[in-house]
Amino acid sequence: MSVTSFRLSEIQSLVAKKELKAEEVIRAYLERIEKQEPAVAAFISVEGEKALERARAVDRKREKGSLAGVPVAVKDNILIQGMRATCGSRILENFIAPYSATVIEKLAAEDAVFIGKTNLDEFGMGSSTESSAFFVTRNPWDLSRVPGGSSGGSAAAVAAGEAAAALGSDTGGSVRQPAAFCGVVGLKPTYGRVSRYGLVAYASSLDQIGPLTRTVEDCALLTKIISGPDGRDSTLADRPVPDFPKVMKETLGPFKAAHLKEALIEKIDPDVKDIYWKTVDGLRDLGGELIEIDFPSWEYALPCYYIIAASEASSNLARYDGVRYGFRDSDYGNLREMYINTRTRGFGEEVKRRILLGTFALSSGYYDAYYLKAARTRQMVSLEFERAFANVDYVVTPTAPEPAFPLGAKTDPLTMYLSDIFTVSANLAGLPGISVPCGLSREGLPIGLQIIGKHFQEDRLFQLAFLVEKKVEFKNNRNIINWKEEK
Amino acid sequence: MKSSIDIDHVCALAHLRLTEKEKEVLAPQLAEIVEWVGRLEELRLPMSSQGPDSHLPFSLVFRPDEARPSQPLETALANAPEKAGPFIKVPKVIEEK
Repeated sequence: MSVTSFRLSEIQSLVAKKELKAEEVIRAYLERIEKQEPAVAAFISVEGEKALERARAVDRKREKGSLAGVPVAVKDNILIQGMRATCGSRILENFIAPYSATVIEKLAAEDAVFIGKTNLDEFGMGSSTESSAFFVTRNPWDLSRVPGGSSGGSAAAVAAGEAAAALGSDTGGSVRQPAAFCGVVGLKPTYGRVSRYGLVAYASSLDQIGPLTRTVEDCALLTKIISGPDGRDSTLADRPVPDFPKVMKETLGPFKAAHLKEALIEKIDPDVKDIYWKTVDGLRDLGGELIEIDFPSWEYALPCYYIIAASEASSNLARYDGVRYGFRDSDYGNLREMYINTRTRGFGEEVKRRILLGTFALSSGYYDAYYLKAARTRQMVSLEFERAFANVDYVVTPTAPEPAFPLGAKTDPLTMYLSDIFTVSANLAGLPGISVPCGLSREGLPIGLQIIGKHFQEDRLFQLAFLVEKKVEFKNNRNIINWKEEK
Repeated sequence: MKSSIDIDHVCALAHLRLTEKEKEVLAPQLAEIVEWVGRLEELRLPMSSQGPDSHLPFSLVFRPDEARPSQPLETALANAPEKAGPFIKVPKVIEEK
């Protein structure tokens, strides 16, 4: 088996025992990137020299961290000091991060190696990575299809074996949906579990950083490392962080999971439906009792999400005005013109659409009818989850209503927004959600199961996801291209 | 909730400019999106105001208000589009009448 198929703990253990050099691990991954990148195009920038230098430093250390030599790809809206952070936007095309995000500092402290920055929908706004200002990323399972989004580059990099693990960010499903499309594991932690210091803000009441990995165990390990206190993010809860990889393997025992009645009447691809029901039947064999519950706010969650996310985006993105950093248009007569020309030329179409929608929803005369109404709807979604979790341990849904769709298939924005139908509710309520691969469509495309849990119960999510992973024997989730080549 | 979106007004508020051609595409799209999000009107909801942190199962956490070292000047200026010595250069803020 090649180095690029090892689990994170395998890499760490070999590097720590000096049976393998971190430098060799990184070289193997860089070779793989060179081979796969022309087809997949997951990275905006590959930082080969920096990664090798860092790997050599790890090799020289006597005491090695729990991610020694592990190559991690990072979504290009998370800052790594001295590296570009473009957010997939022209407006930040030449922006060099002046400091590192907390999650990066935490991973670096455990001797992870950052191998490059991955492509995304501009500022995280999209579900296919096609709204990146630079290029489209392709799904390694079928190069004519999207990898999902907005963390499509991170998901594709892990699926193609170009990184052992990756970080993404999830505002309405941006880690879980691409994880499902690319056949990898993706977690959106509880809001308040992981520091967002150094994550470029899109919608601050929804954004969370989360890992994308080949196995549930890898996901548990990364989550353990990136979670916990920071002091630089006031939305970070002061909660103990369990030893997720250890707890994950403890016996789960009998559990109760709920379907949402309203969710299952959505337009769902027949293959997704089929695999979903098979997986759910499998949960019964694992000791699960499945019940169906009413969730009347379900159909309002998506429009509610789009009002809140767009409103917060219009406010957060007001900072890109060409004054302090980023692109400044050279053609202007006065200050106001500089703002307008910079923003007009610097932002792409989807970003403009959301800024305009958000500006409208917050504008005088419409605030009560749109933003405030959405804020109250959000409260209703939270209350319905609370009611559900009084009776069950988990809520399960498909992660996405369909498998990866062809590039260029969704030109109408509303059709694209429907891609997030199953994922946005967890963001609205601040709940943790994981996507775990649970099967393949008839065309051979991966399908994900989403498991949503109670606040701060990621440990329970990992326990069930781990069992699902074993149960479905999704053999090719470790390195799909290798697997296909070997077959 | 029948509200038509005045695209020129919203563009002015957002510091964006659209060409006529872009308006032809974006205006109907936004109208459709606004109509779609307007579905929330059907809901009967309590009138209590909900802040952006109302979904949190915990209170916001603050650290003591103590001074900490900040970015050195060179770092803070490194990404500035135009500089003049230790300053960011911008066009005149107050226009002459």
